[in-house]
Amino acid sequence: MKIAEKLKTKLMKKGASDVIISAINYSGKQIKFVNNKVVKTGTEAAQDISLFVAVNKKILTTSIKDINENKLDSISNKIIRFSKNLPKNPNYEGITQGPKKHKEISQTYDKKVLDLDEADLVQKGINKALEYSKRVSGVFETNIADSYLLTSNNIETEEKSTQLYFSIRALNNNYESGHMNSCSRTLNLLEVEEAAKLAGEIAKKAKNPLPGKEGKYDVVFSHMAFAPLLNNIAEAASIFAVESGLSFLSNQLNKKLGNFNLIDDATLPNGYNSTKYDAEGSPTQLNKIIDNGILKTYLHNTSTAKRYKVKTTANAGLISPDAFNIIFDAPQKDIFNIKKGIYVTNVWYTRFQNYHTGDFSTIPRDGMFLIENGKITKPIKNVRISDNILNIIANISGCNNNVKQLKSWEAETPVKTPEVLVKNVNITKPTD
Amino acid sequence: MHETLAEFALEYCRKKGAKYVEVRFEKKSYNDFLLKNSIAEHSSFEESQGLGIRYLINNNLGFIAINKFDKENIKSTIEKSINLTKNTKDFGEKINFSKEPVHKINYQVKQKKKINNFDPEDKLNILKEIDKKIKQIPGRYLNLSDTITEKYFINSEGSKITSIIPKIHFFAYLTIGSKNKTIQKHIPYGSSSGYEVIRKWNLPDAIENDVNILTKILKKGVKSPKGTFDLICGPEITGIASHESVGHPYEADRIFGRESAQAGESFVKKDMLKTQIGSEIVNVVDNPILENSYGFYLYDDEGVKSRNTYLIKNGVINEFLHNRETAHKMNLKSNGFARASDYDKETLIRMSNTYVLPGDSSEEEIIQETKKGIFMKSYQEWNIDDKRYQQKYVGSEAYLIENGKITKPLLSPVLEVTTPKFWKSIDMVGNNLKLFAGNCGKGEPMQGIPVFMGGPTIRLKNIKLK
Repeated sequence: MKIAEKLKTKLMKKGASDVIISAINYSGKQIKFVNNKVVKTGTEAAQDISLFVAVNKKILTTSIKDINENKLDSISNKIIRFSKNLPKNPNYEGITQGPKKHKEISQTYDKKVLDLDEADLVQKGINKALEYSKRVSGVFETNIADSYLLTSNNIETEEKSTQLYFSIRALNNNYESGHMNSCSRTLNLLEVEEAAKLAGEIAKKAKNPLPGKEGKYDVVFSHMAFAPLLNNIAEAASIFAVESGLSFLSNQLNKKLGNFNLIDDATLPNGYNSTKYDAEGSPTQLNKIIDNGILKTYLHNTSTAKRYKVKTTANAGLISPDAFNIIFDAPQKDIFNIKKGIYVTNVWYTRFQNYHTGDFSTIPRDGMFLIENGKITKPIKNVRISDNILNIIANISGCNNNVKQLKSWEAETPVKTPEVLVKNVNITKPTD
Repeated sequence: MHETLAEFALEYCRKKGAKYVEVRFEKKSYNDFLLKNSIAEHSSFEESQGLGIRYLINNNLGFIAINKFDKENIKSTIEKSINLTKNTKDFGEKINFSKEPVHKINYQVKQKKKINNFDPEDKLNILKEIDKKIKQIPGRYLNLSDTITEKYFINSEGSKITSIIPKIHFFAYLTIGSKNKTIQKHIPYGSSSGYEVIRKWNLPDAIENDVNILTKILKKGVKSPKGTFDLICGPEITGIASHESVGHPYEADRIFGRESAQAGESFVKKDMLKTQIGSEIVNVVDNPILENSYGFYLYDDEGVKSRNTYLIKNGVINEFLHNRETAHKMNLKSNGFARASDYDKETLIRMSNTYVLPGDSSEEEIIQETKKGIFMKSYQEWNIDDKRYQQKYVGSEAYLIENGKITKPLLSPVLEVTTPKFWKSIDMVGNNLKLFAGNCGKGEPMQGIPVFMGGPTIRLKNIKLK
């Protein structure tokens, strides 16, 4: 990418202090299926080039469609002209200094994805779920990408990646449904039939659910149900959320919040979002966000880390540091061994009344079951979890060893999580 | 150039056997500014453009997104897509579209104060003016953005529609109070227009007023009483309820299950058309042609002319929201609600501007006629299940009403109610229509799309509040 080098040089000559150019070439496919039939195939071929430029602490980002020799002057002039009208950001402290070594991460690229028979895979998933349910809907997606990064601080790097994502919801009669997702970087680790079976089994067990009752329950969160909560915790750990007043983790550093571990690991083999460098070129790493229940760090980039006199956690996002792959674990136990509880297999529409205090609610969907004296007894419906997320965190009691990697609509950042028991959760219901 | 490329793509799909083809070329220019606690955290300008192509081959649907415009790339991507579609034909849904008129038209929303004549400093100054007025509160997250979307739509039936729609969007996320006694509030504004709308919004005074009210609620508010009350909902609550529990469940693609995996289905079934769902004084419309509205368009992304559509008329389910596919399934014409958020997203059935039509009573009259009530003017937390049957709103600005008078501010009253109960309990509808901007999410991958939602102040009889 000599042309990127030329653009960077031009911007520096015209007064830029920091420049990051990132380019991605990608192709993607999607099969969307509804009621056992394919309703749409999607095919995408695209390239994106995005720029981050700092001119005397004035910060801007932009994207350009393509770079060629003839456009270098007009692009760089437009950027510098735009920056002149901006005020300085006194909080900005620069980007990481290269050169840096970026260690390859295993299981992040799989040639088999290039020649995949997507239709066959989807058909297998549908057929498996249909062993347990009447109808099945979902999507299967693949992405293949070449990424490139160049910065004014002596970093130039690139990587190839493949991603696979499968989401399946099995449905029987009204309110009798089950949902399971799987995501992977390599074909052999994608759990298509396993996810389909699980979704189907939940739908089958959810037969004739009755309205649930209000009260305090011990709740076992399945993978799909716990993933959105983990996403909310990881988002609250971003220093950007803390500074914006949008984090229930502000003022909690080094405090004991519960009894579990929360890790963000961009170097995770087969991690759906694993990458060897972050958005400014820092080599990525494993970060223990919450260790034995104690909040150990917020997520930083170089600039925010300098302000707080800590090391970057290599989570740039240049404006907002973000998690890559969230990993959860807690003491293992027999989580279904409870007297009166609810097994929640999925949630959606998680919304906060106050991000700072953590008051929120979320709605269980798909199969939901009463647990009585250590046994799953009957399916229920139409209740809501209305609680405070710091209470939920504090009441995490343990987990099983059934760990899965997934992402979902409500959990855009992939998670690796077991199923988790939370004590004393507040359950509400609507009035008819 | 884009016209030639769009036509080339359309013809190539036909040559490869597609019976129906439509091509959307979309070019978006976008500016975005963020002022966080007085600091210009980030500014950006972006341009994106691409072709979104949809076709039917053997009545199976394929969608293609391309932003690399050399003809060889377009050809090879089309071939790849058609292969994928053909590979799934054994278990592919046979899809048909309703027959619709051909349209050849250009339209645009005029800007009095053009987006391109405002430089970044002007735009940041709008945010700084607001920030100056509310410096006393600890959390001030202020965002201003503008977009100009140019579309060129053609289909194999002969339609050719060009449109240019500018949009302005403002969003505030405020934290009022300190330590653990805080109130947070999101405040969105949106418009299809140029920057002339900024004067109309008068943001510094409007946001200052919101902050003053919520500060008072925080200081003087008492715990909301639990029990059964007459509930008065301000336009903001009426709006979110009409969006979540009328607009969404009336999307015909949900009713047919097309979004069942993610966005969900609907408690409303096909055979519920023309049945009573609300009290007789309830009328809800979805109106894309509302001038300068945030959800404005004249032709949808399938080239169908849009129109004001009654979803509920006199309390009866009147019409669903359709695209050409669901209209064909119900032997109807599409009413024009197919939209995609970007060139690289498929069209889905989307709301535009969904609101309860105003009635006769003034807000004052509604309050005066309420003996024991709670007035919930605005909300922060809300959610609804994926069938759109049970919803929850937690009040931000709320008051107790005793004997026809507002007596005291309340902290966080909770309404958790089923959809039929909500709409059947309405016994008064105000005359004070107000509309609020939102970005509605649907689809996989997720598409956020600009909408208005709103209505007047309404009263619900005998509602249990928590």
